[in-house]
Parts: sequence; structure tokens; C-alpha cells
Amino acid sequence: MGKKKSSKPPATKPTAKRAAKPAAKEAATEKRTRPQGGQASKRERTMERVGIVGYYQVKPSMDLQMDRYEAAFTAVRGALDGAKLKRKDLTSVVSATNDFYDGRTISNCFTVEASGSYLKDETKVEMDGAYAVLYGMMRVLSGNHKLVAVWGGSMASCFPYEVTSLLSTDPTFERSTELLNVMTAGGFQMRSYMNRFGVSAEEIAKVAVKNHQNASRNELALAESQDESITLDKVLGSDPLSSPVTDLMYARPCDGMACILLAPEQQALKITDHPIWIAGVGYSQENYYLGERDLSKSRSMEDAAKMAFKAAGITDPKKEIDVAEIFEHFAHEELILSNAIGLSEPSSPSSIPINPSGGAISGNALFATGLVRLIECAKQINNEAKGHQIDGVHTAIASGQVGFCAQNNILFVLEGGEKQ
Amino acid sequence: MVQKHIEITEGIVRADYEYWVGKYMDHFYENLEKQQFTGIRCPSCNKVYLPPRQVCGDCFKTIPLDDANWVDLATTGTLINFTATNQEVSERRKKKNEKTTVIGLIKIDGSDTAIIYPVLDVQESDVSIGMKLEVVWNKKITGSPEDIKGFKPAGGT
Amino acid sequence: MTGRQVAIAGAGFCEHASKRSDVNMAEMVHEAVENCLKNANCDISSIDAFVNGNMPGFEGVNLPELWMTDWMGARNKPLLRVTTGGTTGGSIGIAGYYNVTAGIPGIDTVLVVGFEHQSCGDTSVGLASVAYAETSIWTKLGLSMDKMTRIFGAGAAIGISSYQAINYMKRSGATEEDLARVVVQNRHNAAKNWYTHLKMPNLTIEEILETPFISYPFRYGMVTPASDGACAVIFTTEEKAKDFTDIPVYVNGVASVSNESAILGYSGSGACQLDPCEQIGAVESAKLAYSQAGISFPEKEIDYAEVYSPLPTQELQWLERLGLFEENTAHLRYRDGTTAPNGELPVNCSGGVNSTNSIGASGLERIAEAALQIMGKAGNQVPRTVHTAIGHSWGGVINLVTLMVMSDQQKRKWKGVA
Repeated sequence: MGKKKSSKPPATKPTAKRAAKPAAKEAATEKRTRPQGGQASKRERTMERVGIVGYYQVKPSMDLQMDRYEAAFTAVRGALDGAKLKRKDLTSVVSATNDFYDGRTISNCFTVEASGSYLKDETKVEMDGAYAVLYGMMRVLSGNHKLVAVWGGSMASCFPYEVTSLLSTDPTFERSTELLNVMTAGGFQMRSYMNRFGVSAEEIAKVAVKNHQNASRNELALAESQDESITLDKVLGSDPLSSPVTDLMYARPCDGMACILLAPEQQALKITDHPIWIAGVGYSQENYYLGERDLSKSRSMEDAAKMAFKAAGITDPKKEIDVAEIFEHFAHEELILSNAIGLSEPSSPSSIPINPSGGAISGNALFATGLVRLIECAKQINNEAKGHQIDGVHTAIASGQVGFCAQNNILFVLEGGEKQ
Repeated sequence: MVQKHIEITEGIVRADYEYWVGKYMDHFYENLEKQQFTGIRCPSCNKVYLPPRQVCGDCFKTIPLDDANWVDLATTGTLINFTATNQEVSERRKKKNEKTTVIGLIKIDGSDTAIIYPVLDVQESDVSIGMKLEVVWNKKITGSPEDIKGFKPAGGT
Repeated sequence: MTGRQVAIAGAGFCEHASKRSDVNMAEMVHEAVENCLKNANCDISSIDAFVNGNMPGFEGVNLPELWMTDWMGARNKPLLRVTTGGTTGGSIGIAGYYNVTAGIPGIDTVLVVGFEHQSCGDTSVGLASVAYAETSIWTKLGLSMDKMTRIFGAGAAIGISSYQAINYMKRSGATEEDLARVVVQNRHNAAKNWYTHLKMPNLTIEEILETPFISYPFRYGMVTPASDGACAVIFTTEEKAKDFTDIPVYVNGVASVSNESAILGYSGSGACQLDPCEQIGAVESAKLAYSQAGISFPEKEIDYAEVYSPLPTQELQWLERLGLFEENTAHLRYRDGTTAPNGELPVNCSGGVNSTNSIGASGLERIAEAALQIMGKAGNQVPRTVHTAIGHSWGGVINLVTLMVMSDQQKRKWKGVA
């Protein structure tokens, strides 16, 4: 509902034109095409590398039976212990929590103790955890910090996620009719994709089948998502969510928490035998209004991928990337985002494995999901993915997102697994 | 052996919010009360926004609050997308209904944007992208988004 | 690995008021963005990326940066959202610095936007909601959530601040009159600054002391308003800064060291900060930021300060904890005119948070006002040349703090005593 008043007229004056910004500096490195076998080789990088030196994912659950402090502690403590590092080594902590998901304003206020942030340089990103990793990465690149912990997540068992999506709509118009929420937005997006490219619901359901089956090989997937014997019919016949999306095509919200530790290149090489390098990142936010966007594509992911690949020196994603972990809110969104990244087209699916972990469908603890995609890529590179390990992974990409129909996307390029 | 005791508490907090809509939307709602759709045209690129906006996103220019920029639009439009659901989400809770509602993205004739409203009294199978629709007003008109009850197929079939 | 030198190249504000009823939240932000671009003499094409933040509990809009994309000019550009409650403005400023110093390809110039449209909601619910979940167990004892709002609404910010103020006054000997003097100075300053909320050029100490107590030692006349408003600041590289401004303001030190909560601990377990005016977080933040900036004698090397003080005791306390005045002497510096606009160390010549408090923006406004003083472009510009200044904020349950140290000299060339 809106209040109405009127008063003085606006008074803006036109400003002088600014010169266009100059091109980014290119680092001088030799450029080599990647030999067969998936070796990451020297690329024309334009960004300094940041190391992932530790990580921990709390197994998601429909009800974790813990409060968020215990969950945050488990994640951060787990990451430090796993990396054989101590809280005293940390200089900064960046969290990813949402005031509405947590049911309290300043959601980072009381988590100081539980997240190891006491007397540390602490801050909070109110976006998917992958963006908190971005900010953590910036803190490392500044030279001010030698070890940054990034943690995030939420408990869908404590709040109605779809309601919080309604609360992010335009309050001057759309919000009061209560028709736009994450589910109806997903319905619009899926129909747009199907109509634009002549893709059938079965094609899309295949993605859901793949992800549920992959989840069954991922010991850190949500139990309800692990289904080796799932079929196309089961997916298509599941409860309708918002047509044409069905329940089993939706990355259901759940409880979860995760943590990643970041360090500068020099330190990363010393504190772990197998650092994972963040070699590139890109992110972009497109227009909010669904009616003006082409929902069958993802402009924001296209821009994010361009930016990330330029930073990492990737010129042929289909050849240079070994695995992708994409945050897909819905099965059809995995296809849209993978097309936008350049791994696939509507008529030809990706030949690179996507979401061997099961993706967000394997457990969507809001604000942890993007962080988990990064952890999954790190595990793939480190040969730690156990039941869902892909062979020979040296270059991986991980994505996070925020907003209706992935209005804002972030894409990371990770490298590693080479002999140092 | 540590025993966990989990206590679940629930409570309701009264949190009233009322949003200033700004002068552009003020004008839109005034005309909505007269059962008229009024959009605004960006003088730079000629894009027509409904509901009207202060800033044209394509140009990043402020659209002056000038009579010349207001555009009177028809109350008919085209369905550019739709979804059908029985999941109702309000500001308080999510609930599954008996009835399924068809919700459309509707482009009002003459505008370049789309609004989200139900397509009334139809089954999902009756509906197709590109079909022509006309507005159905609510019985009670107060100059608010709810004045539009929804849209129905145009031509009264 | 070290980051690039960062500079503030411009800042802008929208008009602040108790009710900006003439605009919606997105339009209010647009006003600040336009004024910032005007101040930096550039247009939106110069901006590579954005940082956005507010305290969403106040308006009840989740992730408002998504809706207001076009009003910020952020379409198809990178955007990061940072929200930390009362310190949001400081945190987004610090994030703006980190965005630029990191040297991520394509991100050189960043527009940071902070805002709050508080009149859209209930400020006491917005404030109280920090603690509902922590104290929800009290509902088992028969205390309803609505009753808790009434306890926290005044209890939360004002309550903790009272507890803090009593400790401070006992330590320092500051009197009620000293508190009123701080308020008078702020409100007189605000009268000379165009966008502020409470402009009171003729306010006297006596008038304030005649108003009733809201919570000892604070009287109604001393309390910060709730303002609608927005602020935008441009951060860019050393190389590009000269394109926007004659006097780039170099960001040389940033810190936001967090402390245990002052009340309730976690999960309602009890108070940890036994003396909430001790503020270890602020002391550590100062150490960290000053060492980054090469400042060894803050009381001598800092020319101007914008500290976040919705309530007057906080202004005195922060100036001491941040090393600008000796412990327990800050109130004397108000008595002898040191902190006045024409004094040796002017403080809050913008009018401070005591005169204008749009929570998502107010921390950023401390940074913006300090930067503008260095540029010589502040609304209430001090007569002496400002070389080095600080912008500070606090929030949470007085456990969160931010600090930014700015100067007209780059850090590298700073000849400080380590």
C-alpha cells in the first residue's frame, strides 16, 4: 500500500560529460592453449590470485536441530581445524546472512563470538555467500589481511523463504497484490525458456533427475534430495509449484551453513600443500522488472562470465573448464545459466559436467548455496569429492546468485591441482 | 553424554509499513482511481513505462514531471507470459489453496513494460501467450494496486 | 601483495527530513546519486561498480538494491550489498575502499550508496528487532513480543546508551551541562549545512536541560532524530581521482573490529561488556587503521573528526577511545572550544548524527563529511586547512564499530614515525 503526498519540484542540472574509462591493464604472461587432459596452463591473467586454504560445509537438513550460533561455530571451527589453523591466525571475518531469513535486524550483531570474529575486523555481506567470498577476496588482495574466514547460511526451518522473496518486491506497486514471489518468477522464467527455444519440460526434467541422482552420491547433500532411482515421470508428476515448474525441479530451501578460508598467494603456498586459486571473478546485476527482461537468457550471467574469464585469461570455456558448479534455483535455470556462461546452447547440452554435487537442488540453504558451490569446486580440484569426483579437474567454475530469475550473478574461476 | 533440549518459541510482532510512493506513482494512482492507466514516456528514448518511473533505466535519465511526458493508455493489453499456481504467498505465510490461479505478465497496449495480475475465470489450458486481454476492475476503487482485480480475455468470449 | 592506493573523489547527499514523503525510497537514493555525480563532475558512465547498503528492518523491504537498480544507475554493472546495522554507512564505505584497492579487472571507480527511508516503518520495531530472537524465550514467561518492542524500542539503543553514558560520566566527571553543550554545538553546526534534519542555530544549553528525561542521563532535547535520507560517495584509484576532483582524498586506513555484545551475550545468555564505554573494538580499530595510515600521534596528526554520536556522551567517549583526546578529558575540550569549527580539532561540523540520523546513510555521511572537509567543499567548512581526518561509526549492540582514516597525502609518501 502507498502513501501519497506532493511538494517541491525536482531540481537537477545536467553535468559535464566524463571521458570514457581506459582499458584494463594486461599482465604480461605467455599465452598457451590448454593441452588435452585438462591441465591448467599459464593464462593471460589480469588479476592476482587468492588462495582458498580451507573449507567446511555443515551437512544441510530440513531441520538442523541447532540454533544458528551452533551452526556458524561448527562451520568456522570446522574450516579452521580442517586447515590446521587457529582463530588467532584470522585477521578478518566476512559473513553472509540475511536479516529477514534470520528474523532479526543486524543479523551479524550477535554472531561475533560464535563465528570467531571477536576482536577481528568483521563485516557482513547481505547476499549469497559467494559474494561474501568476493568481498573476502578483496580484503586479501588489499594486503591488509593474511587470513580471512568467510561464512554464511540460514535456516529455512525457522522462516518461510517464499514470503521473504515477496518482501523484496517493489513496495510501491507489485508487493500489495502478492503475486510475485520466487515460485511465480520461476514459472515465468521456465515458460519463457521453453517457448523461446522450443525446449520441452522433459528436457528440463532431465536436469532435475541428474541433480537428484548426483546428490545421492554426495554425502553432504540434503537427504530428501538424494534419489538415485528418480525418474523423469516422478519429476514431471511431482506437486506443481508454479506452472510449468514442479516441486522436484525447485531447489528447496533448507538449513545449512558453510565456511571458506582465504589467504594471499604467498601465505597460501606456505600454509597448505594444496591451495585452490581464485583466478578470476565476475559479477553483474541486471534490471529488476521481469516484464522488461528476456527471461530465456541471463544477461547478468553473460556479463559476469565475460568479466571472470577475462580476469582468468580463459578464452575458450568449453575447452578450458573441467567442471562447473552452478547455483540453479530451478532445473531450467541450470540450462539458462550454462548457456549464458558459454558451456552449452539450448539445442546442445554441455559436454562439461555441471553440478556433480547435485547443485542447489541437492540442498539450498539460502546464502550458503553459493559458498557450497565454491567448496564443491575446491573439492573437485583437490580430489576430495569422493562419490561424485570428476577425474582430472584443474579448472573449475562456481556461481552464486541473488534476486528473481537470477537478477545478479557472480562467477568464479578456480584453478589448482598442479604440481607446485 | 550431552543431552540437547530444544525449545521452540513463536511470537508475532506488529510491524506496520506504509510506503511513500513518490510523485510519479501519486499521479498514476490518482488516475487509477478514475479507472485510467497513465504511463510516462522517456523524452530521450521514447520508452513508455507503466507504472510510471522517475528514472529511465535504459538512459539513466530523470524523466521530468511534465504534462508532456504523461501517456494515457488503453485498459487492454497482451499476455506475454503466465504461470498457474495454487501456492499463495502473503506477507505472513505460504499456503496451498484448493483453487489454482493463472497469473500473467501483461503488457498494456502502448507501454513497453509489463504488470503482474491474475487472468480471471480461466483454466490454464485456455490461456496462451499473445492473447488479448482487458482489465476487470474491483468493485471497490480506492486508487491502489488492488483496484485492478485482474484481466480477462478481450472481446468477451 | 599490496592493494592500490584509493581516493575519495566526490560525495553527495539528498535532502534529509523526518518525512521525505515526496519521493519513494528508490527516488530518494537517486537524488543522492545525482548530487554525488554533480559533485565529482562526472556522469554514470564513469562508474564501474556499486556498493549498496541500508538497515532493511526499518522499511521491511528485503534486498531493496534489487528493486532500485535503475535508480542507482547500476544496470548491468557489478553490485555488492553490505549491511551491518548502524555501522552500515561505515561498512559500505570500507567496502568501497576494498572494491577499488583489490584491483579486480574492470573495477576502478565505485559508487557507494547508503540510505534509509525510516518514515515508511516503525523505528522502534526496526531497532527492537535486533533482539527479538535472542529474547524470544521470554515469551514462555508470559512476556509478549509486542511488550518486548516497547521495552526494546526505547530500551535498545537509548537503554544501552544510558548504561554506557552513566559509566562514562562516572569515569570522566562529565556533567549534564557538558552533554547539553555537545548537543548545542552539533545543532548549531547542522544549521549551516544544507541537507541536515535538525537545524537549531539558537539552541541553548538551558533549553535542553529543561526538557524531561527520556532515560537518565538523556533528556528529550539531547536525542538524535530519525531521518529519511541518502548519501553517495565515489571511491576510485589514485590515477583517476584527479579527473574528478582537485583535491583527491586518499583513504589510508580502514578497520571494523567487532566486540562481544554489550547486552544479552548470545542466545540471551547475559552481558559480556561489563563497561560498555570501554569499547575495546574502537580502540583496536583505531590501532589498526592508524598503523595502516602511518599515524603515530593521532591527537596531533588528525585535523578533523566525524564521529558517530546519536547521543552526546558517545561523542565524548569516541574522541577518547579513538585517541584524539586523553581519557576523561573530552568534555573539557568542548568547554574550551577545541572542538568548535574554528578550534584546533573541529568535530562534527556537519551537525553529526545528533542532528541528522538516516541510519543506513549516517555512517557513510561521517566519511563523506570528513572527505569534503579535506577537499574544502563541506557544507560547514572549517577555516583551517584539513589534511587528515577520520570518519567513524558504531552500531549493533554497541559491539560494532568502523573507522576510516583519510588524508590529502597518499599513504606511501607519508613520513610518519612507525
